[in-house]
Amino acid sequence: MPYNIAMVSDNFYPQPGGVESHIYQLSSKLINRGHKVIVITHAFKGRKGVRYLTNGLKVYYVPFWTVYRETTFPTVFSFFPIFRNIVIREQIEIVHGHASLSNLCNEAILHARTMGLYTVFTDHSLFGFADAGSILTNKLLKFTLSDVDHVICVSHTCKENCVLRASLDPLMVSVIPNAVVAENFRPLSHHSSDPRRNNVPGPPQPLGPDDTITIVAIMRLFYNKGVDLLIAAIPRVLASHPNVRFIVAGTGPKAIDLEQMIETNVLQDRILLLGAVRHEEVRDVMVQGHIFLNPSLTEAFGTVIVEAASCGLYVVCTRVGGVPEVLPNHMTEFAAPEEDDIVAATGRAIAKLREGKVRTDLFHGQVKQMYSWTDVAGRTERVYDGVVGAVGSEDFYGGDAAHGHPGVRSFALIDRLKRYYGCGIWAGKLFCLCAVVDYLLFIILEIFAPRSRIDICRNWPKKVLGRGEVKTTDMAEEAEAILRKRDMRRRGSE
Amino acid sequence: MPTSPTRVDAHAAASSSALDPNLLAPRDALYGSAVSAAWGARKRRERARSSDRRRKGQFKKLLWFKQPFPDNYTDERTFLDHLQRNPRLQPYEFWSLMTDATVIVQHVASVAIFCCCFVAIYLERVSPISVVSWASFGTFLAWVLWDYWMVQEEARATSSLTGKSQEKPKQPNDNIAGSDEAEDPSAGKEQPTIGNSPYPPNVDPVSSLSPRNQQRLATARSALLIYAALLGLSPILKSLTKSTTSDSIWAMSSWLLFTNVAFFDYGSGSGAHLPASISTNSALMASTVLASRLPSTTHVFSLTLFSIEVFGLFPLFRRQLRAKSRNGNIALTVALVTTAAGAVFATLTGGGRGAWIAGVILGSIVTFFAMGICSWWLIGLQKYKNEIYGPWDPARPIIRRHWD
Repeated sequence: MPYNIAMVSDNFYPQPGGVESHIYQLSSKLINRGHKVIVITHAFKGRKGVRYLTNGLKVYYVPFWTVYRETTFPTVFSFFPIFRNIVIREQIEIVHGHASLSNLCNEAILHARTMGLYTVFTDHSLFGFADAGSILTNKLLKFTLSDVDHVICVSHTCKENCVLRASLDPLMVSVIPNAVVAENFRPLSHHSSDPRRNNVPGPPQPLGPDDTITIVAIMRLFYNKGVDLLIAAIPRVLASHPNVRFIVAGTGPKAIDLEQMIETNVLQDRILLLGAVRHEEVRDVMVQGHIFLNPSLTEAFGTVIVEAASCGLYVVCTRVGGVPEVLPNHMTEFAAPEEDDIVAATGRAIAKLREGKVRTDLFHGQVKQMYSWTDVAGRTERVYDGVVGAVGSEDFYGGDAAHGHPGVRSFALIDRLKRYYGCGIWAGKLFCLCAVVDYLLFIILEIFAPRSRIDICRNWPKKVLGRGEVKTTDMAEEAEAILRKRDMRRRGSE
Repeated sequence: MPTSPTRVDAHAAASSSALDPNLLAPRDALYGSAVSAAWGARKRRERARSSDRRRKGQFKKLLWFKQPFPDNYTDERTFLDHLQRNPRLQPYEFWSLMTDATVIVQHVASVAIFCCCFVAIYLERVSPISVVSWASFGTFLAWVLWDYWMVQEEARATSSLTGKSQEKPKQPNDNIAGSDEAEDPSAGKEQPTIGNSPYPPNVDPVSSLSPRNQQRLATARSALLIYAALLGLSPILKSLTKSTTSDSIWAMSSWLLFTNVAFFDYGSGSGAHLPASISTNSALMASTVLASRLPSTTHVFSLTLFSIEVFGLFPLFRRQLRAKSRNGNIALTVALVTTAAGAVFATLTGGGRGAWIAGVILGSIVTFFAMGICSWWLIGLQKYKNEIYGPWDPARPIIRRHWD
C-alpha cells in the first residue's frame, strides 16, 4: 500500500551532512518502493521554492528565518499555514520528521497531529542529561514526542537515550540503522565490473615489516570528535612504529592544535593534512590508507566507520555511544577514550595487519551485506504500516503486548491533551495551551483558507510493475512531464 | 497486618502469571486502578514473551546482522543495562558541612561588626580612634601570626626543594606568579605566600638582610604608604557624596554590603588568591559612601582604614587560618559570632551590658541552629539527586600531559 510521505527537517541539501544524506537516500529508496515522497525544508541561500531531485523527489524550500547554523527560529505556530497548504496540496498521509534539534521537524509533527496525520520521528543524535542546554532540548523533545505515532532511532544506544529523554514507551521506538551506499565506497583494488573477482578474492597479502602503513583519520576537527586524543596519540604512534604515516582530513577549530603538534614534533614528512574534504572525495582519501582511526567522544551511529570498513580499512575506534553496535569484531579494534589505550589499540591493529591476520579485502562485500538503504527503506515501510494500522497491532507491537497499544493513536483533541498534560507540572499545562492554540489556528485556517481552494498537485508519473517494484515510465514520457511542469511553473510566475 | 497479604498476593501473581500471562493477577486488583492493572498485566506478558523469544535466540545489541526480532523489540535483559544513576555521589556529613558553613557565618559576622562600629561612631558612642587602633592592633597580631606561618612554610619548602633541586633547579613560573600578586596594593601588607620559590619577589639577592626580613620591610613600607595615602585622601572622601541625601546613602550602602556578602569568594582553596574583586570593591564603596555622613576628617580616615582591614585583609587571614588550624577557625568563628550578636543587640536596643549578654546568648543559639538546620536540609535534599549517566554521554578523554 503506497503512502504519501513528507520528510520534514531543517537539514537537507545543499547543506552537507549525515542527516541530509539519510533523508535523501531513504526518500529515493521509498520512491523506488512505490511511495510518493516529498521533502520539506527551509530556504537556503540562493535556493527557495520547489525543486525536483533524481527519481522525482520533490523538495519544498520554505522561506523561513534562520538564526544559527541553518536552524530556523522556533516560533511554534508560524510554520502552520504554509505547512497545511503543502500537506493538502500533496495529499500527505504520513509526516516523517528528522533530527531532534530541527525546529521545522518539531513544528511539523505538532501541526500534523492537529491536522489528523500520522507522524514518525527519526532521532539521529545523542544528548546528555546534565547541562542546561540538554535539559531544555529534552523538554522540547518531550513536547513533540508525547504525541507522535512512532519513533525511529539509528542505534540501540540512541533508542535508550531517546526513551529516557522523552519518556517514551520502548515498544514505540524502532531501531533502524543508517546505511552506506557501498558502491560509492569501494576499495582501490576492487573491480565491480569483473564479477568473478568480486566473489573470489585472492589470498591475503600480508604487509611486510618495511611496508608503509597509512592511518587515515577523517573528521570535522571539533572537540567532541576527539581531536585532542588524536593529537596526543599521533606522536606516540609514530615514535613507536617507524614505517607508519598519517593522513588527516577535515577542518575545524582544532586544526590549529593539530598543526602545532606537527610543528612541535617535526612530523611534517609523516603526517599529511588535507584540510576540508567533500563527501564525494572521502572515498578517494580513505582508499589511500590501511587503518582508519576514529577517536570520537560521542557518536549515535558512526556512519564514517562503516564507510571506512566498506573501503577495506581496518577500523580503530573508541567505544562510545552506538559505535560498538555497528561493526563486527573482526573489522574493528576498540579502545577506551584514553590516550594510552588508543596508542595501544593502534599498535595492535598495525601488528595484525603486518601479520596478515585481517582480511581487509573481504570487508567491502561483508559491509554490503550488512547495510543497504533498500533494507532501511523496507524496515521504515514496516513502521509506516504499523502506524497507519495496515499491520495489525498484534504483529507490529509483538504478540499480545498490543493490548496497551491501540494500533492507531487517537486524534481526538482531548486524548492529545491528556498526553501533553503528563509532561510536567508546569510544562504539561503550557504544552496543552500550545496544542489548543494550534487547534484553534487550524479551525481558523479551515474557515479562511478552505481546502476546496487549494489545488491538488499532480504526482510524478510512474508505472507500477510486478513485485511492487516501480519504474518510471519511458524516458520520452518523463521528459514530457518535466516540460509540462516547467510550463506550468512558467505560467505560474507570469 | 499489611505485609503478609501482599506477600501472598505476590506469590499468587507469580503463579498465575506462570499459568496464564493474559489474566490479571490478584496483585492488580489490590492496586485497584485499571491503568496499573493493565500495566502490570502487560509487563508480565512482556516477560512471558521475552522468555518465549529467548528460545528463538538471544537478542544482541548489535546492528550489523539481522536478528529474528522486530525493529521495535525491547529486550528486558539488555535494555538500559549500562545506565548508571548517581555514580559519583558523595554523601555529605553533618559536621563537615557545619565546619564549611563557618566560612559564611564568619563573613556575615564581620560585616555585622563593621555596621555596628559605624553606627557607634556615627552616634558618637565610641571614638573612631579607639576603633581603628584596636583593629590595627588586631591586624598587627594577625600579621605576626601570618609571618610565623610563612617562615614555617619557607623552611618546609627549602627542605623539599633541596631534595628536588637536582631535577629542577629553576622554576620561572613561580616568579611570574609572585610578581603578579605583589603588584596588588591591598595584598601588600600581608604578602601572599609564594609556594616553594627560593627567591620571593621584591627581594634583592645581594642585600645584607635575609630575604624574610627584606619582605617584612617591604610589607611595612606598603602599609605606611597606604596609611599616608588614606590620610591624604580623607578630606576628599569626606566630601565626595556629601550632597547626596542620607536616605539614598543608607539604601546604597545596604545594597553594596549585600553585594559584598553575595559575591564573596567562599571557596575553600587554601591559596592566598584575593577574594572576588566585585565583593571587595562594593564593600569599600559602601564604606566610602558611609564616610560622608561622619563629622570630621579623622572619623573618615578611621572608618576607611577600618573597612580596608575588615574587608581587604581579614578575609585573607581567615582563609589562611582555616587551612592551618581547625580549632583556631572554630575559636575565631565563636568569637566573631558572639561579638557580632552582642554588638547588634546593643546597637538595636541602645546599649547596656544586659542587652549585650542577651544578644550573645540569643545570637549564638540562633546562629548555631540556623547552621544546623541548613546543613541538615542540604543532606535531606540529596535524596532528590538523580543524575543519569550512560553510553550516550560524551566520553571524557584522558590525556597524559607531557611537557618537553
